Amino acid sequence: MIDWLKRLEQLPTAMITALTIVLMLLVGAFDYLTGVHLSVSAFYLLPVSLAAWTMGWGIGLSMAVLAVIVWTFVGSLSGDADFSTPYIIAWNAAIQLTTYIVVVTTLTTLRALQRQLEARVAQRAAALTAEIANRERLQRELLEVSEREQRRFGQDLHDGLCQHLAATAIAGQVLSEKLTARNPGEAKDARKIVDLIEQGIILSHQLAKGLHPVDMDAAGLMQALQEFAANTGELHKISCRFECDSPVLIHDPDTAGHMFRIAQEAVRNAIKHSGAKNIVIRLDTLDEGLLLLVEDDGSGIAPAPSPQPHSGMGLRIMAHRSRMIGAIFELRGGAQGGTIVSCLLPTPVQETGREQAFV
Amino acid sequence: MNKPSSKVFLVDDHPLVREWLTNLIDQHDDLTVCGEAESVQQALDGISETNPDVAIVDLSLAGGSGLDVVKNVRVSRPSTAVIVLSMHDERLYAERALRAGARGYIMKRETTSNIIAAIHEVLSGKIHVSPQMNASLAEKFADGRTPNLRSPIEQLSDRELEVFQLLGQGFETRRVAQVLGVSIKTVQAYCARIKEKLELANASELLREAVRWAERTTAAN
Repeated sequence: MIDWLKRLEQLPTAMITALTIVLMLLVGAFDYLTGVHLSVSAFYLLPVSLAAWTMGWGIGLSMAVLAVIVWTFVGSLSGDADFSTPYIIAWNAAIQLTTYIVVVTTLTTLRALQRQLEARVAQRAAALTAEIANRERLQRELLEVSEREQRRFGQDLHDGLCQHLAATAIAGQVLSEKLTARNPGEAKDARKIVDLIEQGIILSHQLAKGLHPVDMDAAGLMQALQEFAANTGELHKISCRFECDSPVLIHDPDTAGHMFRIAQEAVRNAIKHSGAKNIVIRLDTLDEGLLLLVEDDGSGIAPAPSPQPHSGMGLRIMAHRSRMIGAIFELRGGAQGGTIVSCLLPTPVQETGREQAFV
Repeated sequence: MNKPSSKVFLVDDHPLVREWLTNLIDQHDDLTVCGEAESVQQALDGISETNPDVAIVDLSLAGGSGLDVVKNVRVSRPSTAVIVLSMHDERLYAERALRAGARGYIMKRETTSNIIAAIHEVLSGKIHVSPQMNASLAEKFADGRTPNLRSPIEQLSDRELEVFQLLGQGFETRRVAQVLGVSIKTVQAYCARIKEKLELANASELLREAVRWAERTTAAN
């Protein structure tokens, strides 16, 4: 009913006017055929209401007047005695008109209220959409800021602290060589200090790598994943392989950074929660886009939601990162058990002229 | 008895590292630091001026990569042996540095006590890398089938060579497929065969090799 009305409202005014007039004449003809003793005056309300609802009070009123005229005319055609007395005709017409005017007024008021309501709903919806977009932008910016900060921090660690420690280690070596000639026992201690400083360098280098894993060029993601897989395998004594058939270049460092973090999180989950012994990180070019896959042979996805409220966090962040870079994230069970995390980065529509960017 | 001491040139963008390396090297009678630099240009100027026997070069320098210094010195001063001393992982950079012409690779974080030994080693004409790296390079060599005397790139079919060339120009898989009018899967199959023929471990190496080859061929033309 509402749909039908809505569709009617879309028609041009001239067409609705014509439609209501035709309807009015049809009711008039029906009135004439049924004879004067059977009152059909209510039927005139149909075209009148239609006009009032779709075209407003003015035209509704005109239609009401027209309806009364038709009704009176049909009555006079019937030759009934009542219709020969002008006083009665006028009285009946006035009563009829008043009724119609009440209906028209009620309907147009109702219509105005409905329009107001619709406008307000649309306004609220628009405000809500804007608010959601705003929040999403804010979230993205927050993530980017933290990412940028981490990168800067990592770089500072690598270029500043690590180099400083390297110089300190060399200074220790100078001391240890000087002592060797004089006092071999003290030289041993000095060498120990050099060892300790070197361990410090390794620690801060790893810290820097964790904060700033992906190099800035387009081939950086491949290299970072390669290194990450090798380190993970070594550290956790498991098999962690990186597979990539043909070169995958990602020109946007932020996107590459997110892809890396997604892989990192997926691998971390596989080791921590599912006790996986074999993990494969794959980077693949498909017709639809770039596909990052992390497959493991662990215990698979938990069937029920985990009891700790915290445990879904990594997943949510992976999904969130995917959304930020416009990728499609999916977590599913593997065919032979285990878990598969996939992140598909669709091919941008326009991507030409950037090939040289990575050299 | 007293032979003239060998001259060492230092290239590192960190002043403290240069200072202590100088102290360390000068402590040895047979070695002396003849100059130092912190950028690529300074390094090239300084090396051609002082004519050192050994140059110790960091990979990350202000205004360029230490690899540029390595490549340049190999061409312009073949008598100077270059040792790369870097914070970067040897698994990623040692082979690259050696291919660029370096005679040694030392990671800053692990082998402080080896610096002098490394200098002596390259002075006597040997190559210095860590024992792990040595093993991994030997493994790689042993893994490869009969060494082919022809340039491995000549073994590529025309189509493979085309793919290799496009990769070297920075085209990614999708674009290569577009340009050659084949499917992505086909390009990946070509890549797999190229990797096999050139004995490359992974896609990053493939890309690196392709870019290097493209640079060489454009320079030659």
